[in-house]
Order: sequence, then structure tokens, then C-alpha cells
Amino acid sequence: MHKGTTFEKLKIASFDFTCCEGCQLQLANRESTLTDFLDLLDIRNFREISSEQHNDYDIALIEGSISRPDEVERLQAIRRQAKTLVAFGTCACFGGVNSLKNRFSLNELAVEVYPGMEVETGLVKKISEVVKVDLSIPGCPVNKEEVERIVVSLVTGSQVTLPKYPVCIECKAQINTCLFDLGEICLGPITRAGCNAVCTTGKTPCLGCRGPAEEINMAAFLELVKERGLSENDLREKLAFYNAFEGLYQP
Amino acid sequence: MIYKVISKAEFKRFIDALVRNNSSFGPRQVDSDFRGKALYQFLPVASFDDIALDYTATSSSAKHFFLPFREELSRFIFHDEDWEQQITYDANPIVLIGLRPCDISALNILDDVLLNGHYPSPYYLAKRKNTFVIGMDHLPLPDCFCKSMNHHIVSSGFNLFCSDIGEEYYLSINSSKAFNFLKEFDTRDPLDEENCRLAERRKLISNSFLTEIDVTGLPSILDIEFDSPVWEKWGNKCLNCGTCAMVCPSCYCYSVEESMETNLNGAVRQKKLYSCNLVDFAEVAGGHNFRPKNGDRLKYRYYHQHRGFAENDNQQICVGCNRCGRACLSDINPKNVINDLRMEKESCLTNVLSSPCRR
Amino acid sequence: MLDKRFVIPLQEINREAFASSIPDFNHRSEIMKTDMGYKCTITNIVRLTEQEKLFQLRIIDNRERDIFKFKPGQFLMLELPGYGEVPISISSSNSNHEFIELCIRKAGHVTSALFTVDEGSHVAIRGPFGSSFPMDEMAGHNVLLIAGGLGVAPLRAPLFWINEHRDRFLNVHLLYGVKEPSQLLFTYQFDEWELINHITLHAIVEHPTGEWQGKSGIITELFDDISIDPENTYAVVCGPPVMFKCVCNYLDKLGIPMNRMFVSLERRMHCGMGKCCRCMVGSTFTCVDGPVFNYWSVMNLKEAI
Repeated sequence: MHKGTTFEKLKIASFDFTCCEGCQLQLANRESTLTDFLDLLDIRNFREISSEQHNDYDIALIEGSISRPDEVERLQAIRRQAKTLVAFGTCACFGGVNSLKNRFSLNELAVEVYPGMEVETGLVKKISEVVKVDLSIPGCPVNKEEVERIVVSLVTGSQVTLPKYPVCIECKAQINTCLFDLGEICLGPITRAGCNAVCTTGKTPCLGCRGPAEEINMAAFLELVKERGLSENDLREKLAFYNAFEGLYQP
Repeated sequence: MIYKVISKAEFKRFIDALVRNNSSFGPRQVDSDFRGKALYQFLPVASFDDIALDYTATSSSAKHFFLPFREELSRFIFHDEDWEQQITYDANPIVLIGLRPCDISALNILDDVLLNGHYPSPYYLAKRKNTFVIGMDHLPLPDCFCKSMNHHIVSSGFNLFCSDIGEEYYLSINSSKAFNFLKEFDTRDPLDEENCRLAERRKLISNSFLTEIDVTGLPSILDIEFDSPVWEKWGNKCLNCGTCAMVCPSCYCYSVEESMETNLNGAVRQKKLYSCNLVDFAEVAGGHNFRPKNGDRLKYRYYHQHRGFAENDNQQICVGCNRCGRACLSDINPKNVINDLRMEKESCLTNVLSSPCRR
Repeated sequence: MLDKRFVIPLQEINREAFASSIPDFNHRSEIMKTDMGYKCTITNIVRLTEQEKLFQLRIIDNRERDIFKFKPGQFLMLELPGYGEVPISISSSNSNHEFIELCIRKAGHVTSALFTVDEGSHVAIRGPFGSSFPMDEMAGHNVLLIAGGLGVAPLRAPLFWINEHRDRFLNVHLLYGVKEPSQLLFTYQFDEWELINHITLHAIVEHPTGEWQGKSGIITELFDDISIDPENTYAVVCGPPVMFKCVCNYLDKLGIPMNRMFVSLERRMHCGMGKCCRCMVGSTFTCVDGPVFNYWSVMNLKEAI
């Protein structure tokens, strides 16, 4: 840092709810800058990397969605402590894959998944349905490079921003073949960029894990899928996959 | 310009020598689309055989060799509570094979904007100077309209241009570098008959265009039609995805971003190609957006492409390759948009004129 | 093994040689620093209001300081390393070769960071860029300087010029409107401007608070207070986008010729050099052709105001 700019380590904690813990794992990824990254953090509570647990954190990363009453209480307690509560990853931001559960009856699910066991389970909620969220970092999993950039911004007091434009920009910069040209439905044109088009570069259509880009033209997108004669069923499955486009189309 | 003729077998040896000794890029097939049509891109090539010389058009242009999608402009190194700025104009020599006349025209337009105008760009200059451009003529695709833009023939902006005249290539040699390389190969001065074959070839190309756009007076039409409902109509289809600008050979608008390094010991200022269709293109600090609607933003792209900005004497920058039209998922293409704009006016013209006739 | 006969030699672009070969195309300034900034020390920071601070900068290098010259109305790109660059119009007198003053509102990412730095820190500037107010042309006439909110910052440079050449101008009025009294900038200079420089100052506040003794309303109401000879008057307008149209219409009705009305437009420049196209207005660049336009050319520009 140069004169005139100061920084303090972030007192940070990471918590997981209904999720695969894959987003938290990303924090330990990208080894080339890992030590520099960890130098920015004063980790107070993070089950995955340290058994030490303190409750004097300022920033709480919340991974996962909420699907049990005890999770609500735990989350509310975290909210009371945290100055900045971050919805970390697609499940926290939108409900994620877990939301598929909401399509079925809870009894049916309990019998199918946990036969013969007593389970307490409810409908899946995203974090913002339970507590106030200060910052969202979408992604399934989150993009470590973006997380690093956001952490640096928080440390240096810069504005935290996500790209407003869709994945297409990043996909075209990789000189990829458009997946629509290959006859697939790709949510790239309506999904927020920031993932560096990792899926489409690997020829896998975008499923929209980062949620809608700003001011997307959903009507035109639905129309073009129809005009191309692509499966509307496939489209609906994709839009519903992460629950990230809820309210933007008629399911 | 010096003209020579080279046999196709010798041409292969020549290209092989260049490709094997330099970092080289040329058209290669990357995929077949769902209809079975081959898709091409400019990619690294290691030998003559890697190059798909009979390619149609690449999906993305060759612009990014000169204007990378992301480019470091400057670096700040922090030390002892102070900082130091460093700038380098990095460019390694490359060979770019198989550019079409419209692609080369686009480079000439970029030269106009970025080198000949105010504040020439050293970043672009470094890349332009270090790129050896070999052009290749081709028969137009059904949707190419470069003839309407007068960019189906190019006479500058390349090192070497090759026209296919049957058994030979007719070479237009436009740099001493190219001339010196060719000294090592068997070339000869064109005969009268070969000059004729070149003329025939050019005529064939010129007569093969199926798409025509009437661009006469277009700059003024765009000014007059600034508030036309046509923009809203096409704007309603636009996804704001920026694909058109990314694949375009002459779109050069950008964004500058600065990011601190994770170790907080420095920062990088980067340039990122941007598109006027993106939602925050005209947003200012505090959040006010000067172009809040899809139609406003789409209009701006057409305004820039077909009216031109002051920076290059209000010249149109569209070369007519129709890459934007092919890439647009919503089927927005210059032909339809411009025809719509014209139709608007022409239909009102009929209305105005027809009434006195009836009397 | 590479065959040397066919290797394309690297052509290096030398920074210094390139920089010195750039022509001063429009004679707007005598320097052309397009990519590398001039390093400056922040010598003084004055908090003007909740939202605005006045930064005083001094170019560190003696030679660079000597060649940095600007004209009233021009802007520069201010860099805070690690945070980025912002276009800021110059608020100081162009006869002051020691210091440059920039009035900055905390609005975006870079300006927020600038609000946390202390005196003695180093920043960089590129420029100056853009067009300027035609001060020599305006001399010999009455001048109306019309500012809304932060718009007073770019007008401070021509105001200094007028003050320094006061005998060359007839009546000079500063019409200044803000939302609330607490937003008035440079109040500490009001007396000096009025009493020493004989500038007639009219301030108006949209939402007056308790202590406010002056007028309340919107800026065009100030026109009732002044009588000018439109044939012999120049007007300079700077403020938020909504203000331009009504003020310029008003001036038009008063009979001031369009080519004697000047506006200073604000867009988010990223390069300052007419390349990035972020500041396009119609077919012209706010950074190269502007920010100062006469009203006739702005009328012609689509979306300008």
C-alpha cells in the first residue's frame, strides 16, 4: 500500500447451512495467491480450515440455503453479530439446486431420501428471505478470483461491484462457438458475467448460477428460444435449475 | 505495390516457412453447427496444413490480435509508502494469414481512429507494427454486404494479398518484408493473361454479392431518424449481450478498470473491450444512465457504425462482414435495421407525394 | 531451429520517442501526456461540505510543473493508484503554476477512496484534456456565469480568469443555485468576489433551512433580479443535466445568441482521448470536442441535454 491508503485485516467468519460446502472450499483454492489472500483475513470462525472458533467477527460469509427451523435461529444470531453479512454462493443468493426440493411434497421427500428416519425439513429459502443481506457473491461455486477481488475491495475500502453485463461478453472473449449454434439452450445471454464463461468454454451450456444480469430482456430471450424451435421444457428446466430467475418468467 | 504470381505448390512452401518460424494464426474449423455448417475461428497454426484456406468466414473477427479483449495499460508498483508507474507496449511479432478484404479494411479504419486521429495509441501501434498480415480474397457469403460498404476490395493495410486465379495466386506485395521473404521462393512477374484472370476474378467476386444495403445518405438519415420508432422495435428484441460488438472487426469502444493486487503491493490498470449495448455503457458516477433503454443503446451502435464519429471524420466504420448479424441470437442485422429505417421514410414519402397526384 | 531468413523481427515502440512525436493537434495545451501520469503531492485538503472537498495538488517534478498549462474549462484525469482514474474539471486559476485545485464530490468508487487519503499522499494526473471557455472572445462583454450545485467547480477557473482581467469585462454576474444552504460551495470566497472583484453574486436555494436569509426557488428565478443587454452578453452554464435545458431556453428567450452561450457537459470519460467512446454525445466526444460546447453545437447533438 502507498501513503494515504491504510488497511486492516477483515475479521471474518464462514458458516455453512444447507449446501455442499464447495463455495467455502474455494476460499482455499487458487494457490498462487493463497498466502497473500489469507494475509488479508483474520479468520475468527471457519470450521473447514480451523478448529479455533471466536464470535467477534465483522464479516460473515453464509454458504447454503435455509431448510430447517434451527438454521433460521443460527442465521439470525449471526446476523446480530455481523456488520456485513455476505450471501456466499448460489444457494445463499438464490436457493440454488436445493430449491428443486420445493417442487415436491415434504413427506414424499422425507420418505424417499431418509426412509424410516425422523427428519425435520422445510421448504428451501434463500438467505435474503430470512435476514438482511449486505452483499451477494453468486456462483456455483463462487469464482475465487472474484472473491479475492471483492475481499481486496473490502480491505481497501473500495466499492464492491459485480459485472452488470451477461456471460456472452466473457464467452465471446474466449472465441467460443455459441452454444445456440450447436443447437443447445444456453442461459449465457441473461446470466450475470464474472465466471469468465467457464462452463460455455467447456462446451457446457450456462445454467445461470450467477443469476440474472442487470435489466435482462427475458421476453426476447424466451421468444428466441421458441423461434429456434428449441425445447421449451429444456428451457424451463434450465431456468429453474438454480432458482435464480424466479419471478422473471412464468414457470 | 509490386505484383507477382506464385504457383500454389510454391505458395505452400512459402507459408510453411513463415508459419514454422513465427508465431502464426490462421482460420481453422472449430465446430459444425446443428445444420452441419462448418464454423471457423482465427487460431494458432503450426503448418500450412493447419490452415483452412477455403474457409468461409470466421465467427469472431481478427480484431483481438490488435485490440485484446483485455489489455494491461499500466502497472503501479507500491513501495516505501510511495508508488511508481510502469508502462510497456508489449507485442511479439505474429503472422496473421487469411484475412478477408473486409477484415483488412476494418484494420485500416482502426488505424484511422487509433493512429491517425488525436492522441495515437501506442498500444495499438505496437501490435499493428508487429503483425504480418496476409490477405486472401474469397467469394462472398450470401449475407455479406461489404460491397455495399465498398470494402470488398482492399488496396492497403496488408503486407501481402493473395488472389486465387486458378493454378496460381496473384500476389499484391505491399511491404519490403514480404518482398524479401518472397525472394527465397519461385515467383515471377504476372503475364498479360494472368492480369486478365485477376480482373475476371475480381469481377466474379463483385458480381457474387446477394445482399445489398442502400447506404447513400445514411449518416443524415440516422441523424433525422434519431427518435424513430424503429429503434424501439429492434431494441425490444435486443438482449443487451454485447455479442455484436465483440465479434465486430471495427468496434473498439472500451472500459478502463483498475484493480489492486491481492498482496496490496501494486495495481494494474486494464482496458476491457466494451459494447455500447451493455446496460452501463453510458452510466456516470452516482448512477445516472444517459441511455437507459435498449433501443437507445442499440441505436448508438448503429449510429457509431453507420454514421461515424468525429474522431475519424464522421466516416462509417462498418465494413459489411455481417458477423454481428450472424452472431445475434435475436436476429438483429444491419440489413434489416437499415432497410427498416429507410422504409419508414420512404413510406411517408409516398404518402406525402401521392396526395397531390390524385388531385 | 528457426530459419532466420523467415523470422519477422520485433519492432519495439519506444515510450519516450513515441510520446515526444505526438503532435499537439489542437494547440489546446503544450503537453501531451497520454498514458503516464504526472505525479503530484496532495498539498492541502479543504472540506467544503458533507459531500465535497477541495484538493490542492502540486506536480512534484519541476520540469513537469513548468510545462503543465491549462485553459479555464479543461479537465484532467486524476489517478489514485489502486483505485482508478476519474475525470475532474480544474477549479483553480490557470495563472497559478504552483498548484492545481480540484473540487471533488464523493460520488463514485474513486472519489470515495480519495476522501480517505491525507495531505502528503501522492496521486497522478493526465491531461489537461478537452476544450475551454473562450475567455478572450468573452472579454469586452457582460458575462453571466450560471452554476447549479457542483457546476460551480468548473466555473471557478473562468471566474478566476475574469477576476485577474477584471477591467476587460463589463458586468459579471454569478448565478448560483443549490438544493440546500449547506451545499453552497466556496462561500468563504463570496465576499472577495463581490467586494474586491465586483462580481454580482446571486444565490438561490431550493429548500431553505432556518438560517437561510436569501432567495429560495429554482435557478431561473434569479433571472428576475438581473437586467442585461443580451446583444452584449456571454453566458456560461454548468450544472446537472436537468438544469441545462431550462436555463438555456430562458437565455434563448432573453435574446442571447446561441453561439455566445456555453455549457460544460459531464459524462464518464474512461480515456480522455476520444478513444473509449464512453463519453459520446451524439457524434462528438465530451472529452475531445467538449466538455465546453456552445449551445448551438449542443442543440445539434442528440441526447446532449
